[in-house]
Amino acid sequence: MKISDYYAAHQRGVLGFLSLIFLLAGWEILLTYVVPLDPFFFTKPSLIAAAFAEQIAGQKLWHDLAVSSRAFIWGFSLALVAGIPLGAVMGWRRRVEYTLDPFLTALYASPLVALAPLLIVFLGVGLLGKAVLVFLLSVFPFIFNTAAGVKSVDSLLINVIRSFGGKERDLYLKVILPSTVPYIVAGTRLAIGRGLVGIIVGEFFAASEGIGFAIQNYGDTYRLPDMFVGIIILSVIAVLLTEILRKLETTLAPWRSGEEVR
Amino acid sequence: MIPFIEARSIRLVFKSKNRDAVTALQDFGLEVARGEFVSIVGPSGCGKSTFLNILLGLVRPDSGELRLNNTPIAGPGQERAMVFQEFGLLPWRTVQANVELGLELKHVAASTRAERSAELIKLVGLNGFEQHYPHELSGGMKQRVGLARALATEPEVLLMDEPFAALDAQTRDLMQSELLQIWERTGKTVLFVTHSIEEAAYLSDRVIVMTARPGRMKDIIPIGLPRPRDYEMRLTPEFNDIKSKIWEVLKEELTVIK
Repeated sequence: MKISDYYAAHQRGVLGFLSLIFLLAGWEILLTYVVPLDPFFFTKPSLIAAAFAEQIAGQKLWHDLAVSSRAFIWGFSLALVAGIPLGAVMGWRRRVEYTLDPFLTALYASPLVALAPLLIVFLGVGLLGKAVLVFLLSVFPFIFNTAAGVKSVDSLLINVIRSFGGKERDLYLKVILPSTVPYIVAGTRLAIGRGLVGIIVGEFFAASEGIGFAIQNYGDTYRLPDMFVGIIILSVIAVLLTEILRKLETTLAPWRSGEEVR
Repeated sequence: MIPFIEARSIRLVFKSKNRDAVTALQDFGLEVARGEFVSIVGPSGCGKSTFLNILLGLVRPDSGELRLNNTPIAGPGQERAMVFQEFGLLPWRTVQANVELGLELKHVAASTRAERSAELIKLVGLNGFEQHYPHELSGGMKQRVGLARALATEPEVLLMDEPFAALDAQTRDLMQSELLQIWERTGKTVLFVTHSIEEAAYLSDRVIVMTARPGRMKDIIPIGLPRPRDYEMRLTPEFNDIKSKIWEVLKEELTVIK
């Protein structure tokens, strides 16, 4: 009786947790009792857990995370600072939009990670190359979402402000900004995903430290459990950041959630 | 009658690059006395809403004279406020903050704003909903907020652009009665645009019928019914006579295709 009540109230969490447990248990059992474990090609949860514990206790993981975070934060902050104003201007001034749209759209649609080797050649394997790659990948959601937000401003609300004698400044602060916020938050969510791809790909190509390098390096040396530790940590970070943004969205814009564009 | 609102030979042409210019209003004029309730009816696209926007000061006519209390109208002003058909509430503001919008834009002190909004929220019957957001309200409640917001800046003239058109029939009837009560209590001058003959006849002292585009004055029909009016009045033969009178005038314009 009590268990069924708990289940009814937390169905979503319970089922999600159970499916995860079953997957891990199935994986563990398969490689322990059914398929002989060839450590060069396969690994299993218990080995990953052991590697995880070992890495957490060591120094290298934390160093790699710090290195990667620094590049990510630089590239991502610059994308935010550059993308939002550019998007606002694009949304407000049609001529700017028409002028910039063709190549921005082309860049957004292209797999920009293809530029990674070029950037590394130009900018080297350090912080700069990676930050630039993160910037390039994450700036577009900021630009396009902000532009869409500004364009979606209800002209009726503009008229309301004007009818009460509101000035240009009032239009920006009381209508345009608040109606664009949910779009920017939604854009940030997209930008996080793309920025994480940027950092990892940058470190795959050429680096001597960082979480992406670590994954690559463990893979090259057939240390699969250690490699999975890096991958799992990345997913956890991505999920955490996305969830924080989702919460932020409902806090900042309780009246509705912004739409993701493109 | 001493005109409080006075419009003479108003002409407005909408010019656009890809289409022919459209004459929205042609030699349109009217006079409204202080404290009067006047409705404007007319076919779709005859420029009646446009005229309200001109009076509000958001649209400038190409030519014509526009006076309020003998002062020319040039732009928005405190003596006029609009109630919009689609409410025009800011979705990120609570009911109270929406009602206070106009006061805020006029830099009224926060304490005065709060006092004033509380009073008006009560007047439109929304007490208890001060901290709700527009998306939590029904259409009728949203328009109550719209009405309270317009009244908050203490305008002398209330411009109402099909304010109840987006509401269901019963809410509409209710809102009409409440509007009449509020009007009788506050003594505002009201200019009310509507598609509904019944609504115009029920609410107004006079009904102005406009021609199809380009909008001109077609006829003025005085509604001689006693006040205060109630819903039962709508069932009387006198009321029906007035409705059919308005309909007779309006009908000719609905069949003219220009």
